[in-house]
Amino acid sequence: MEIIALTAYVLVWPVLVIGVLSVIVRAFVKDAREAKKEGRQII
Amino acid sequence: MVLLMLLFFGGSLYMSIRISKKKENADGYMTAGGKIGFGISAASMTATWIWASSMYASATSGYTYGISGPIHYGLWGALMILLIYPFGRRIRKVAPKAHTIAEVMFARHGRSSQLMLAGSNVLGSLISLTSNLIAGGALISMLSPFTFTQGIVAIAIGVLAYTLWSGFRASVLTDFAQVVAMLGAVAIIIPVIFFAAGGPDLFVEGAKNLTPQQGDFFSSDAFFNQGAPYIAAVLAYAIGNQTIAQRLFAVREDLIKKTFVTATFGYGASIIGIGMLGVIALYAGIEPMNGDVNNLIPQMAATYLSPILICVFFVMIIGSLSSTADADMTALSSIMMADIYGQNIAGKKNANPKTMLLVGRLTMVGATAAALCFASMQFNILDLLVFVGAMWGALVFPVIASFYWNRVTNVAFSVAVIAALAAFLPVRFEWVDLSGGLGIVSDVVSVIGIGVVLALMSFGFFGLRVAVIVGAVSIVASAPFAIGFLHTYPVLSGSLVAYAVSTIVCVAITMMNKTKRFDFDIIKTRTGDFDTAETEIMLASESVIDDADAAGNGAYAGKDV
Repeated sequence: MEIIALTAYVLVWPVLVIGVLSVIVRAFVKDAREAKKEGRQII
Repeated sequence: MVLLMLLFFGGSLYMSIRISKKKENADGYMTAGGKIGFGISAASMTATWIWASSMYASATSGYTYGISGPIHYGLWGALMILLIYPFGRRIRKVAPKAHTIAEVMFARHGRSSQLMLAGSNVLGSLISLTSNLIAGGALISMLSPFTFTQGIVAIAIGVLAYTLWSGFRASVLTDFAQVVAMLGAVAIIIPVIFFAAGGPDLFVEGAKNLTPQQGDFFSSDAFFNQGAPYIAAVLAYAIGNQTIAQRLFAVREDLIKKTFVTATFGYGASIIGIGMLGVIALYAGIEPMNGDVNNLIPQMAATYLSPILICVFFVMIIGSLSSTADADMTALSSIMMADIYGQNIAGKKNANPKTMLLVGRLTMVGATAAALCFASMQFNILDLLVFVGAMWGALVFPVIASFYWNRVTNVAFSVAVIAALAAFLPVRFEWVDLSGGLGIVSDVVSVIGIGVVLALMSFGFFGLRVAVIVGAVSIVASAPFAIGFLHTYPVLSGSLVAYAVSTIVCVAITMMNKTKRFDFDIIKTRTGDFDTAETEIMLASESVIDDADAAGNGAYAGKDV
């Protein structure tokens, strides 16, 4: 049980990182599309 | 490695060139006009908060304090991003178009408060820039045939090249690419190293390498030596660090909460995850090369990763240090542009945006040169960071109070900060003997500091009443355990004393102010864009005059325009 918990404890962080990365990338793509539609630079 | 660096910095330069304008706008150069979308702002906040030193420090914490070590480094750092967002919203509400918090302090109080904050920001960003160059130089000297000096020069030139022309706009756009590279690398490297080091079996075979404290998830050693001082320090970092403030003023106002929450998870998961490499090293019985724990992460990479993944690891570290280094450069340039030139030399109404841009770019070059000098002298960066952290600790209460309490005066702000620094130094550096009665005095003040830190954290979310209750309860609850004992942890005591003294003095002097009340709406009129339609017209008419004079008609000679 302790081994499983420790393994999960080590491996949960990369999973969370992937989740955050997908949120950021999707938001960036949305920003870029909106900027293109409005004919302005993204920044 | 050379090819990777060329690709990394070449790619960043290409992105920067794609968004560059022949005539950059001074406000765009400092805060991108305050209209950044969620994708870029969340990426930029995450990338800026993650720096190479935090990756190294989290792994060191995992190696030193065991399984709870990375939590006591990464979780508190992440929570601080979350805890300051209510203050961020308030700051943005009273000063929607400001560029630096010091600029707002000028509008709120006057010159001494502004310069104290600006001075601490400059020192902090310069030290952070130096620290990132050192981390990069050390990595390059370890993984390539190049020397440390060649490494720091290459990184300094690479970061400066893509940041110099477009400033903050280039910094935040490249942050997106850097955060994708960094987080992508973190997601790959942690499981690969874990399974290469033995996977779950490692926890059986390596358990003998841990002390009982290292194997305890609720280790008191980890809390008192790592977690508690860090909680006090990062609150100060979050408030006093211009790189965070700059992003606060740049993101669209309605996206502040989303941005800070995403950055909280991004930073926390990445840094705690990298800290797991230290825990794995501890279980695996790995000794840091030359006894230096800073070698731990590169050593783990070199031991367990294939050549391709070592390249991925290299990009992760270079990404983390570049994103923070460019943020430091733009932070320094905006302070010199808005606070020194804009408010103190030219004055808000007379500031010329073209001159401001020149000041910003020259600042970046000068700061890079200074950071290179400091990096080559190999100052003790951690000592300097602790000093700056305490300096910001002395500023936290006066800064926050100044945004909410209309009775706080310039005198209350300035005297509180100076008194807090004067009390901090002898405690932190043990200039006085704290074994006797002075130690008890220090402990009592530190306990008040605990109350102040927890009250400030509560205040942002729940308001004054809850903050006062939380502060009072934490003082009463911690006093029996802390008095007679806290002074044996000088780093923690020093920070807590700074918080307590600045709060006590600021409140006491403010209470003496019975008549003056500040109208927060004034801040909006005293801060704002430098590059306005009026300045455009003014510059255009100056240009007409120059052209006319150059043509020799002298029509405008001696005219006041």
